Amino acid sequence: MSLRIIRALRREGVLGINRRNTGYTLRWNARRFYPIVDDKLTTKERCQSAGIPVPALLAVARHHFEIPRLLREIATLDAFVLKPSHGAMGNGILVVRARDGVRFERAGGRWIGERDLRYHAASIISGLYALGGQIDDAFVEERILVHPALEDVATDGLPDLRVIVYRGVPVMSMTRLPTLRSAGRANLHQGAVGAGVDLGDGRFTHAVQENRPVSRHPDTDHPLIGHAVPHFERALEIAVAATDLTGLGYVGADVVVDAARGPLVLELNARPGLAIQLANRAGLLPRLHAVDARITPGIPLAERIALGRDIAKHAQGKFA
Amino acid sequence: MQRNVIVVGALFVALGLGVFVWKTRSLGMPIIPSGEGPWRVELEITLRGEGQRGSVRAPLPSSGPGQSVFDERTASEGLLFTIRTEDGQRIGVWSGRLSGVVRVVHGFRVQTNAVRVPLPLQLPQEPPREILATYTAATTELPVHAAEIQAEIARQPLASPRDPVARIRTLFTLVSEEIGGAGTGSDDAVLTLAAREGSPRGRTLLFTTLLRAAGIPARVVQGLALRGSSAAPIQWGEAWIDERWVPFSPVDGFFAERPEGLVALHTGEGAGITATGSEAIGWRYHALRESLRQEELAAMMVPPNPLLARLSLYRLPVPTQRALRAVLLLPLGALIVAFFRNGVGVQTFGTFMPVLVAFALREASLGRGLAMVAVVVLLAILLRLLLERLRLLLVPRLSVLLCVVVLAITGMALMGSFGGGELYSAVLFPMVILTMFVERFTLVMAEEGLRQALGRAAWTTAVATAVYPIFHSTLAEHLMFGFPELVFVVIGVLVWVGGYTGYRLLDLLRFRAFARAPENPA
Repeated sequence: MSLRIIRALRREGVLGINRRNTGYTLRWNARRFYPIVDDKLTTKERCQSAGIPVPALLAVARHHFEIPRLLREIATLDAFVLKPSHGAMGNGILVVRARDGVRFERAGGRWIGERDLRYHAASIISGLYALGGQIDDAFVEERILVHPALEDVATDGLPDLRVIVYRGVPVMSMTRLPTLRSAGRANLHQGAVGAGVDLGDGRFTHAVQENRPVSRHPDTDHPLIGHAVPHFERALEIAVAATDLTGLGYVGADVVVDAARGPLVLELNARPGLAIQLANRAGLLPRLHAVDARITPGIPLAERIALGRDIAKHAQGKFA
Repeated sequence: MQRNVIVVGALFVALGLGVFVWKTRSLGMPIIPSGEGPWRVELEITLRGEGQRGSVRAPLPSSGPGQSVFDERTASEGLLFTIRTEDGQRIGVWSGRLSGVVRVVHGFRVQTNAVRVPLPLQLPQEPPREILATYTAATTELPVHAAEIQAEIARQPLASPRDPVARIRTLFTLVSEEIGGAGTGSDDAVLTLAAREGSPRGRTLLFTTLLRAAGIPARVVQGLALRGSSAAPIQWGEAWIDERWVPFSPVDGFFAERPEGLVALHTGEGAGITATGSEAIGWRYHALRESLRQEELAAMMVPPNPLLARLSLYRLPVPTQRALRAVLLLPLGALIVAFFRNGVGVQTFGTFMPVLVAFALREASLGRGLAMVAVVVLLAILLRLLLERLRLLLVPRLSVLLCVVVLAITGMALMGSFGGGELYSAVLFPMVILTMFVERFTLVMAEEGLRQALGRAAWTTAVATAVYPIFHSTLAEHLMFGFPELVFVVIGVLVWVGGYTGYRLLDLLRFRAFARAPENPA
C-alpha cells in the first residue's frame, strides 16, 4: 500500500517535507533574510518603498502603553483588520466589518466591545500569536473587500492567491477559498478549499477540500473548475516582484484582490506549505528541476514569468 | 541522500564501531552484561575543622560468610590513611590537619550472597566462658538488668537454658509479632518494650538485650542493605550457637540466615564512624550495582591499554557514574525523536521534550508518569475555561497555571506518586519538565486550538513512551556507559537521518490522493 503511494509520489514528482527543508528552504533561504518575511510590518514597508501595492497601514502599537493611542487612531474607521506582525497561519487576525458606536461587528457576525479589542491587542503584543512567543507588534490595516468576481466562491472570508516563487520564477499557484467549515479562514487544514490556478490564464484547474477533490464550492455550489482569478496578470507580477525584495530563493507570496484597489501583496512566507501540490494535483519537483535547468540568473521579471508559465504548461502536459 | 552525507555518516559510524569492535574483540570487554554483579559501595565523609589536628575513624567491612569484599580504594584530601585491626574489626583511620571542609571517600566492591546456618538438632555445646562473659553483659544500649527486661523474661514461657535455639525462637516471635515497627518509634530497647513499638534499631536492640538477659551470647551487627541504587543503614542480631555467630532479625524477618544484599560493616551497638578535632561531621553511603561479573568488570576497569585504562568511566566516583549512566542514554533518545520527527513526521512540543519527559519519568513507573501528564493537561484545560473570562495577560496567566501545577504536584507527592527516591531526581526534575510541558500545551492551545494541542500532547507522550524503555534497559546502559564511543555511531546515524530527503510517513498519508486514478470531478 505505502509502496504504491511512494511510487505514485515519485512519478508525479511530489515534494515531501524533508526534501523541501534540505533541498530548498535550507539551501535557498538564508536565515538572515527571514525577518523580512516573518515580520509583516517590514514586508509592508519594503513593498511600499518598491512601489508594490499592499493593504494600507492605519495604526501600529509596539508596546502596551500604545494601545489607547491605537484605539484613538482607528476611532473613525468602520471596518479594519487588527493583526499581529509575527503571526503564523492566520492566527490572531481580528476582522471588523462594521461598527455601531463603541460596538464592533466581527467578520462572521459576532459583536464585540472596545474592551475586547484592547484585550486582543494586548494579547498580540504579549506574543500570544507570534512564532516562538516573543514580544510582538500589533497593527491595524485597511479591510480588503472581496472582489465581486470571487464572491461566488468564497464564504464569509477573504480568498487569497498563493504563488510559489523559486529563484525568481513563479512555478505553481493556487487560491484558497474560505468556507463555512473553515469559519472564514483561508487555511486548508481548517477546511478551506484549495484550488490550483493555471499560471497561464489564472483559471482554476482542480480543487480539493481536506485532501478530497471537489468540483463545486461546498457552500455556494458554484462550479470551481474554469473560474478565473480577477487581474491575474497583475497579481502574478506583484507576487514575483515582492519576492525579489527578500533575498530568499524559495518563497510563497500571498496576494489578495481588493474590489477597489485590485491585487495587493498581503504577506510572504519563507516556509511555504506543500498542500499546493494537492490543489494542483501536480508535484513541484519537475518544475523546480526545470527552473534549475533553464534559468539564466539576472533576467528581468517579465522573462522569468514567461519562463515559469512555459515550465508549468510543459509540466502540466506531462504530468496531469 | 547526498553522497557527502552518506560518507560523513559512515565515517562516524565506522569510527564508533571500530573502537567498539577493537575493545570487545582484542581486549575481551563483554558486550552483553551477564547479569547481577557485585555492588560498588562508597562511603563519603565530610568533615569541617578549623585548622587543628584531628582524625576520623570508620569501620571497614571484611570478607566473611555472606560477603566478599575487594577492590578497596580510598581518597582523602591531605589526610593520612591507615588501617588498624582492633578485636578482629578493621578500622580505617584518616588523620591530619583539618582546615575548612575535608572530604574522605572510601570505596569498595562487595559480592554478597545468602547464608543459611543449619541449626543443631541436638542440644548445642555450652559457649566458652569468655564469650559468655563478654556477650551477656549489660551495656548502656543493652540494659540487660533493667527491671522491665527482667520482668519480660520472667513472663515468657522460655525453654530450658540448655536449649538456646528454642529460647531464641520464643524471643524472636515476641519481637517480630508483639513489638510493632514504627518509623518514628524509639531507638531505645526499654522504651521500645514499654511502648510495644519501636524503630528498626530499637527493636534490634531490644531483641539483643532479651537474648543476653536469657543467657544467650548475642551482639548487634551494623551494616548496609543494598537495594536499587541505595545503601540504607541496617542492623541485625547475632547469637552464639555451637561455636559460631548465627544471624537473626525479627525486624527484617530472617532466622538463622542472612539474605543476599546485606553487608556487615562492624559489630557492636555504638556509632560506627567517629571523629576527633572536627567541628562537624556528616557521612553517607552510596551504592551502585554492577551488571558485570567480577572478571568482566576487571576487563572494563583496567584494560591492558594504558590510555583506555585512564579513560575508563568505571573508575569515576559512584554519584558521577550514576549520573553519567543516565546522561549517556540521552543520545539514543534523541535518535528516536529524530526518527519520529523526520521519518514519521509527527509534531511534538519542542524538539527534545519527549526525551526529557521519558527521562523525568525514569524514576516513576510509566503508567504513573503518564497519569501525571494527563492530570496536568486536564488542569490546563480546566484553568483555561475558568480564566478565559478574566482576560489576563499571557505571562501572569501562565504563572497562575504554574502555581496550580505546583499544587497538583504537591498533592501527587502526598499521595505517594513519586516513590521513595531522592528529592532532586524524583520530584524536582519531573516537576520542571511537567511545568514546561504544560506551558507548551497552553501556548499551542491558545494559538492553534485545543485539537492541535491535544494532538501534539498525544504525540509527545507517544514518543516519550517509545523512548522510555531505553532508560530502563540494562543492556543499553551497559553498552553506552562501557563503550561511550558508541555515541559516535549515534552521531553517524543522526547524520544519515538528517540527510534523508525521502517522504515521511505522514507525507504519504497526506498525498495519498496522488496514488488514486486521476478523476475529473468537473
